[in-house]
Amino acid sequence: MSKPKVGIFGLTGCAGDQLAILNCEDRLLDLVALIDIRDFPMASSDGNQECALDIAMVEGAVVTMRDARRLRAIRQRSATLVALGTCAVWGGVAAMDRDLDRAKLLEEVYGELGKEYDSCPARALHEIVKVDHNITGCPIEKEHFLAAVASLLNGDPPLYPAYPVCTECRMRENNCLLIERGELCCGPITVAGCDARCPQLRIPCVGCRGPVTDANPASALALFEEKGFDRERIWARLRTFAPVGVAS
Amino acid sequence: MSTIVIEHLARVEGHGGITVELDGDAVASVRFDVFEGARLLEPLVRGKRFDEVAPILSRICSICSVAHSLTSLKATENAFGIRVSPQTDLLRELMFRGESIESHALHLFLLALPDYLNYPSALALAADKPAPVLLGLRLKRLGNRIQETIGGRAIHPVNAVVGGFGKAPPVEELIALRSSLMQAVPDGDSVIDLVASLPATDFCHSDTLYAALRSPNLDTYYAGDEVMVVSNGNRAIVNAADYRSLTAEKAVPHSTAKHSSFRGRPFMVGSLARLTVNPRRPMGKLAVAMKRLKLLLPADNPMDNNKAQALELVNDVERALEIIEQLLRDGIKDERPVPVLPRAGTGAAITEAPRGLLIHSYTYDDEGRVTAADVVTPTALNAASMELHFRRAVEQCADRDEAAISRRLQMIARAYDPCISCAVHLVRKR
Repeated sequence: MSKPKVGIFGLTGCAGDQLAILNCEDRLLDLVALIDIRDFPMASSDGNQECALDIAMVEGAVVTMRDARRLRAIRQRSATLVALGTCAVWGGVAAMDRDLDRAKLLEEVYGELGKEYDSCPARALHEIVKVDHNITGCPIEKEHFLAAVASLLNGDPPLYPAYPVCTECRMRENNCLLIERGELCCGPITVAGCDARCPQLRIPCVGCRGPVTDANPASALALFEEKGFDRERIWARLRTFAPVGVAS
Repeated sequence: MSTIVIEHLARVEGHGGITVELDGDAVASVRFDVFEGARLLEPLVRGKRFDEVAPILSRICSICSVAHSLTSLKATENAFGIRVSPQTDLLRELMFRGESIESHALHLFLLALPDYLNYPSALALAADKPAPVLLGLRLKRLGNRIQETIGGRAIHPVNAVVGGFGKAPPVEELIALRSSLMQAVPDGDSVIDLVASLPATDFCHSDTLYAALRSPNLDTYYAGDEVMVVSNGNRAIVNAADYRSLTAEKAVPHSTAKHSSFRGRPFMVGSLARLTVNPRRPMGKLAVAMKRLKLLLPADNPMDNNKAQALELVNDVERALEIIEQLLRDGIKDERPVPVLPRAGTGAAITEAPRGLLIHSYTYDDEGRVTAADVVTPTALNAASMELHFRRAVEQCADRDEAAISRRLQMIARAYDPCISCAVHLVRKR
């Protein structure tokens, strides 16, 4: 079987998900034995910008018309499109408080010139094109990327936890920051996959992986309210990283 | 009028290009174009509480996320008058060293090296010559391990907070890290061997102004609050609180990165600037390495930034080892962060990201909410200097051969190790 043709792209973001791929130091050379990376501008200067791709992986949010054009072009040449990271899946910090008028902020910052910069309302990938798979995380866990490649090579959809960070946190037998210390920890409403990295270090979860879809939000909210955090404050926290998933 | 366009600069972080306009043999204009979308994080962070700021602003850039995160914490701590513990200072310096090792290894081996050896990528290079790529990946992994052990994650660290750390790293992990660092010392020699063996890059000479953090101690990345600007024997010092006089930024139409100059002249920041500004000249092994690399300071060739990164890579590994020895000697304590009492006021902090000076400045209200935020990044500071050096390289290319110019400009751009996501930063209108 010939190796699948893969493209790895970044729209507007911090390049952290592409860097997470390059951080698979021990596996990179094995990886190129299994997949044919045809276009990866961050790592290679001979990318083929036209060829059809079996898999495109795209990180970042859409915040310019140029991003939107590039994303549509990538979609058109790719059989499977994977959104990589919280910005691509949920809008991320670029889309934070996205009801604020970007044009106005640009003008405030750059003066008159701000009117000339390419800008559009910040969006997640699925708001522009069809997305086949999502790998969330800010940044993604590199193990999730490797597992996704393995699944896709086998023709399987990549699967990720659908339970909240709390589940992983309890498995690690941490003291609960929310219940025992009254800290605003977003663990009950944030999707797992990080092995409760922050609460393990006594740091409250900031919700960087986006909302959990399988949770019982009513019981989580009741817990927050019991601890004295009002609904608006919780939503505001979640909207920092996942503005597209959490209505204002 | 003819035009040379590099549409999308590859093997750099972010989205940028280069445009050169020639009028006959004369260089009419040179531009470093930045297409990166503006995320407007500085105005968006207004109204957020002090503990939300570093996790949001570290997202400016993944490769420099330790620098952004720790500079943010330093600025907030300055605003609130918080003094962190000596252990916190050491752990933070260690994170900076880890980030710099990772970033320099990534840049030198995966992004810059393929140019010198005529390959499109490190992966293509590895198919023919695996040794240098494996050397780079080993060092890159080591830098990431330091960041993971101390910061909790290689990208966007979570463990460093206002006032200190969530949890100090366990002794066993520091001991394991120490043995990895000891094993990496010989790799440092291989880095110098490799970089000394690369073909000379002698196509851009220019008088250059350098600016870097003036550190009062060995910690050249994190300690101190003054910038020194150096040109041919002249020195000027700028205090953190007056950083605006250093940057004098202006918006330009072809880029969402604002351009900076000092007294009307572009200046260069990064490894080469740090070596030039730091009054402690390399000694012993480093002095020998510098000689082998044929690096003379102050340099007049921006390509020498690659050699400076190689020297720093060796030094960072050794310094990281010293810090761990000290932490183990002193005994690592399970400290809690210093309690935070927010107060109204402004705090600015200057540090050195792997690619140069980084400044964060915030104003807080008395509840500890941001009312104004300003971030000045190394790639934005470098943008005007890059354009100057592009111009010199075109002028110094005698036959104006388009392919040669294009190749040289890309190599110069990469030598600056630009982080274009970082460069797009926004400044409050005053």
